[in-house]
Amino acid sequence: MSPLDSRLAQLLEHPAIWRGRSAAHVPVLRTGFGALDESLPGGGWPSAGLVEILTAARGLGELRLLVPLLAALTRATPARWSVLVAPPFEPFPPAFVAHGITLESLLVVRTAAPLWAVELALRSGSCAAVLAWVERARPRHIRRLQLAAEQGRTLGFLLRLESALKESSPASLRILFEPTRQGARVTLVKSRGGARGSVELSWSGHGDG
Amino acid sequence: MAEPLQRRSRAGQAAAAQLDLLAPPAAVPLGVPLAVPTAATATAPEALAGTHELWLAAYLPGLAFEALQDEFTSTGPRAVLEDAERSPRVLLVDEAARRLGIRPGLTLAAALALSSELEMKVRDVSRERVWLERTAELALAYTSRVSLEPPDGLLLEIRGSVRLFGGLEALCRKFEAHCHASRRRPVCAVAPSPLAALAGARAARALRVTSMARLAGALAPLPLAALRWDEDTLHRLASVGVRTVGEALRLPRAGFARRFGPARLRLLDELVGRRAAARRGFQAAERFRGRCEPDYELESLDAVLAALEPLLIDLEHFLETRQRGVTVIRCQLRHRGQPPTCCVLRLALPEARAARFAALLRERLGTLTLAAPVRRCELRTGPLLPRPLATEVLWHPGEHGGDGATAESLALVEQLRARLGRDGVYSLGLYADHRPERMIHSVEPAVGEAIRGQVPWSATRRPLWLLAVPQALRERHALPVYDGALELVRGPERIETGWWDGAEVERDYYVARDGRRAWLWIFRERAAPHRWFLHGFFG
Repeated sequence: MSPLDSRLAQLLEHPAIWRGRSAAHVPVLRTGFGALDESLPGGGWPSAGLVEILTAARGLGELRLLVPLLAALTRATPARWSVLVAPPFEPFPPAFVAHGITLESLLVVRTAAPLWAVELALRSGSCAAVLAWVERARPRHIRRLQLAAEQGRTLGFLLRLESALKESSPASLRILFEPTRQGARVTLVKSRGGARGSVELSWSGHGDG
Repeated sequence: MAEPLQRRSRAGQAAAAQLDLLAPPAAVPLGVPLAVPTAATATAPEALAGTHELWLAAYLPGLAFEALQDEFTSTGPRAVLEDAERSPRVLLVDEAARRLGIRPGLTLAAALALSSELEMKVRDVSRERVWLERTAELALAYTSRVSLEPPDGLLLEIRGSVRLFGGLEALCRKFEAHCHASRRRPVCAVAPSPLAALAGARAARALRVTSMARLAGALAPLPLAALRWDEDTLHRLASVGVRTVGEALRLPRAGFARRFGPARLRLLDELVGRRAAARRGFQAAERFRGRCEPDYELESLDAVLAALEPLLIDLEHFLETRQRGVTVIRCQLRHRGQPPTCCVLRLALPEARAARFAALLRERLGTLTLAAPVRRCELRTGPLLPRPLATEVLWHPGEHGGDGATAESLALVEQLRARLGRDGVYSLGLYADHRPERMIHSVEPAVGEAIRGQVPWSATRRPLWLLAVPQALRERHALPVYDGALELVRGPERIETGWWDGAEVERDYYVARDGRRAWLWIFRERAAPHRWFLHGFFG
């Protein structure tokens, strides 16, 4: 390889450069589900960026998808906040503890207008992950949040309803979550790098134990 | 205002009269002389010797005037009156009034006859006290040991500070300049005993005595009036020819104690440092109060914030000099004809930076709607708290070896709380209780601090979401319905507890699945109507 090529390759490695199908190397966080890791660009959740998770309703199991990630992040040292913004119900601490999440680094934010809090938390740099249940968000709002997440080097999740599928979104990753008999089906709607497809996940613990 | 003030001072007049009257030691018929005066006043700079204390006394002869100087509206002839029972007399005058011939001691009528434009205020003793305390706060920059000598004096123990400020003279000059800049005109004197320093300052002498050996000699020419003894005692002493401290010190102790009381003898002993004199230390105010009254009414949030900014900078300075921080700031905005708007700022960690206060106040005030334009802003703090020392870290938060970034983490909490209120942002805590709704409680967010609380049983079969209030479910064929008929997957698990506090529950919990394949946590009451309720979601 000539020196020019290697310098070009180095340039193209830059996370801000998006080259169609080839996923740029951004640091990723393991999802905790092997099958999902394989299908996601880079092999996990992006460690900084915005992920949209779309569901038909609240409480279908979408939080379960993020539990392994939360467990890993809240147990990491040094601890950074994992923030739940405008959760639809009361987070039930015993179950969080049982799933290995440490409560100390979990922060709950209750607000009727969550976008401001989400942006502040993403931009502050003192959060590892921000989970936000958002009903209405316009593409320009999401664009703003995406930039804030990149700036604060924070992973943000927007949990939205399926109806948002019609709108375009500047989020770096967009997935559709549907519960199945054994677990859930996760469909990649949009990803940097252009990967598509769906993954079947199964989890145990509620009924079959 | 910088005009020198005149005070009707017996001490001053006496000092002038007695200046050259240091008589040679007279023969003392009885007893032992109290002290043998050495040479005249020791004003030459001396090296600090010994381990005794060194006191700087600051006497504010113009205190009554200085305390009221913001009240005067004119710059012309001004006077402060002493309101002595229907015959007010002039207490202090400024330079302009003095040139018109108005002297302290004149009656009000006489003063007005000399100048009809004379602006007069009656002295305000409580404001004088506040002014003296403010002066003491300023003096705390020079030593930590300051004590108030009401009504008009301060004592600073400066032994440890002399070297720091580059010598005694430099320290005195700096202190005086500092006082002048804040519109005070003290007379300063330095002596190894507090009473001697005070007496020197009150006699308007620039006394600079640093050694015990020279103290008695330096005090000798001071008039006894500088000790502020009562008129009767001074008169009796004068009638036996004793007018100065030196003459009093030469009197036989036994006779002096018999005729003028042992208390006076003790005072003389304290004066020359033969006896220790305890002083009560002054503590700076533990709270900050500030207010601003702009010339015009403030209508916008930005204008209010701009008006508050100087107050916040004052606050920062106030906290900085004390190495303290605050966690509570109360801001009150007053309107015309409307109750005031209050907002309280609470911080997670003691803070002292004005910029940070301003940013939080902006968020906090942004949530308020002003009922009317603002006429006055007031700022008050809660108690002052020790401030965690700010240290720079080598690694950035999140980098390997980097610290938990506690301060920044809590800064996020503060900023969120500034807008969403205290209850809007919390961490989850656990109570050991078997009733699910009783297990949840919110705790103060503190990243990295362990939250106490045990899960009383293996809680893997508990849902991640709980409904704050259980939702009653309809029934069809004795089975609950929620978005289609529910399929009971597992159960029942009985929770029957809480008889001791009146919130008794008797429930059979089931894990169920609905038509959308969501996992639900439902229960059936064991009591009579046996109703079904939805209590949580596993997702």
